[in-house]
Amino acid sequence: MAQARSEILEWGERGLIAPADVRRALEVGEALPTLADWRRFLDRLLLFLAAVLLAAAVTFFFAYNWNDLGRLAKLALAQLPLIVALALLWRLGLERVSGKAALLAAALFTGVLLALIGQLYQTGADTFELFAAWALAIAPWVLVSRFAALWLLWLLLANLAITLFFQTFHGVLGLAFGPERQLWLALALNAIALALWEAAARAGVVWLQERWAMRLIATACGVIVTVLALMAIFAWHTSGWGIAGWLAWMMVSYAVYRHAVKDVYVLALDALSLIVVTAAFIGRQIRGYDAGEYLLIGLVVIAMSAAAGYWLRRVALESEA
Amino acid sequence: MIARELLWSRLRAAALVQGDVPPRDERAAPWYVRLMLGIAGWIGAFFLLSFVGVGLAFVTRSGAAQITIGVLACAAATMMFRAAKGDFVTQFALAVSLAGQVLMAMGLGELLHPWERSWQPVAALIAIQQAALFLLVPNYIHRIWTAWSASYAALMALGETFIHLAPALAAAAFIGVWLREFQHPRQASLVRAAGYGLAITTLQCAVLSGSLAQALIWGAGFDASGARQPWWWVNGAMAGAVLVAGVIALLRREGLALASGPAKSALAGALVIAAASIKAPGLAPATAILVVGYANGNRVLAGLGVLALLAYLSHYYYALQATLLEKSMLLAAAGVAVLMARFALQHWWPEAERA
Repeated sequence: MAQARSEILEWGERGLIAPADVRRALEVGEALPTLADWRRFLDRLLLFLAAVLLAAAVTFFFAYNWNDLGRLAKLALAQLPLIVALALLWRLGLERVSGKAALLAAALFTGVLLALIGQLYQTGADTFELFAAWALAIAPWVLVSRFAALWLLWLLLANLAITLFFQTFHGVLGLAFGPERQLWLALALNAIALALWEAAARAGVVWLQERWAMRLIATACGVIVTVLALMAIFAWHTSGWGIAGWLAWMMVSYAVYRHAVKDVYVLALDALSLIVVTAAFIGRQIRGYDAGEYLLIGLVVIAMSAAAGYWLRRVALESEA
Repeated sequence: MIARELLWSRLRAAALVQGDVPPRDERAAPWYVRLMLGIAGWIGAFFLLSFVGVGLAFVTRSGAAQITIGVLACAAATMMFRAAKGDFVTQFALAVSLAGQVLMAMGLGELLHPWERSWQPVAALIAIQQAALFLLVPNYIHRIWTAWSASYAALMALGETFIHLAPALAAAAFIGVWLREFQHPRQASLVRAAGYGLAITTLQCAVLSGSLAQALIWGAGFDASGARQPWWWVNGAMAGAVLVAGVIALLRREGLALASGPAKSALAGALVIAAASIKAPGLAPATAILVVGYANGNRVLAGLGVLALLAYLSHYYYALQATLLEKSMLLAAAGVAVLMARFALQHWWPEAERA
């Protein structure tokens, strides 16, 4: 659908399709939604919007921490939407989109309930424990959900738990658990998730074959590994392994996304990472305050990005063919 | 996904094209490659600016010198873009032009002292500068950037009193451009670049409406939420009205009578979101991005709309206009109303029976 759209618009721009015919050409090429598509779209938009709005309403309500309401009333109030969502899920079943929306809402309500318990009983638990418990609690649902968005939510919770864990213990364990360790762990988590996801998608698991989700995880990996490389280059209290990790990511992701999976998005991400790391590396070597050096780095960045743009276009063309 | 040849033969069978499949356009690039080139262009521009700042120190002290060098840089970049054949020249021109634009903006700031006086003249001049570059430079990435910066600067030029209308105005311009996407096929690239620029501005206005970020620009006394104005609700109501008007225009474009089941269902949904926008003004513009993107078969734009909706809701948590309890009540009411709109959809527009 997306491809037919851009081809037809390009042909129209080159004058191969008469201006008055472009709209019809888009319809013939199935690039525009039909009336049936519109109905499905509107139906889902309203459904998911309602689920998200209601979940946000419940979250905001408990964040307000209303004192006029007793503990039990609050707990009951927090469990009510959870029960409603689960009842809806039970009635609708997991195969329907509305069932999946109900499950997503139930997963969000679970977090609200856990947060409320922490708020009411002052368990002394740290914030990371909330996210860890939340991730654990919804894990069985995620496993059976066959729903990409829910898996992403779970991965986000796991990432938050790790980040907050290291923030909590930063003061206690100091050097051993600095920001670098945190980044390495987050990188490992996301890289494993990405590898498993890609493997499952290739093995033919249809509901996991949504490229946007894999691209999102790959973006997280690319950003983390680039930050690690920059930390190593500028020696911000690091072990120096950042460069090795970055090189490994670049090589593995190139091999996978150039040959096995063919996703130019990740290759473009790698190209940008290469440009940033190279510019930082040269800047660090020069260390100077000479104008010519800045010009040199600027020209290197421009030349590299021009070459990357040329190469990525070729790869994109060949993977289309 | 339809292969190129198959698509062409279908169009030929419908008598929309003639002859053989044309050769591929070698310059075509996916959106993320263009995004990469745009970001790299900014990194290049940063080093070029550092070069100017260190090498030509007198420039940093004189507004007139900054504007002169900025104008020269943009003129040189425009000539390079127009004559450009290779990737390197194009990318170099992009970085030079961006650096020139920053220099001109800095020069304007140096001459007009917006921190002490008013931001409006500077914003207006930058809007004119970026709009001129949008027309002069025939490069897609550059046009998205200039459309975005020109439109955002133009909204800033409205000043403190009218800045709260920004979500409505940005969304109106956005809808106006995208609903005409197929009317001017020969200028499709220009229209699309303007459309993406306006999409980013709309997203920005929707997500950041009434935020602290704006208070930073307008100063500590700025009424970030707009709630102190006697007619504050007009801003959100306008944003909602723009969404409803956009949906009506879309229904017209698609040739659907307003009394038909699909049209009534779509309008019911739009009205509910418009009503919620009176208190949560980012909802309507974000929804507009999603719906218009879907209507034009543009998945990137639709994805941007989803992002805008989620980002606005997260931002809304921190926004200043109401207590969390009030916001919670509003969201709950909106959620229930949206569900009712869905029931209305199922009533007015039953799913076609499967053959």
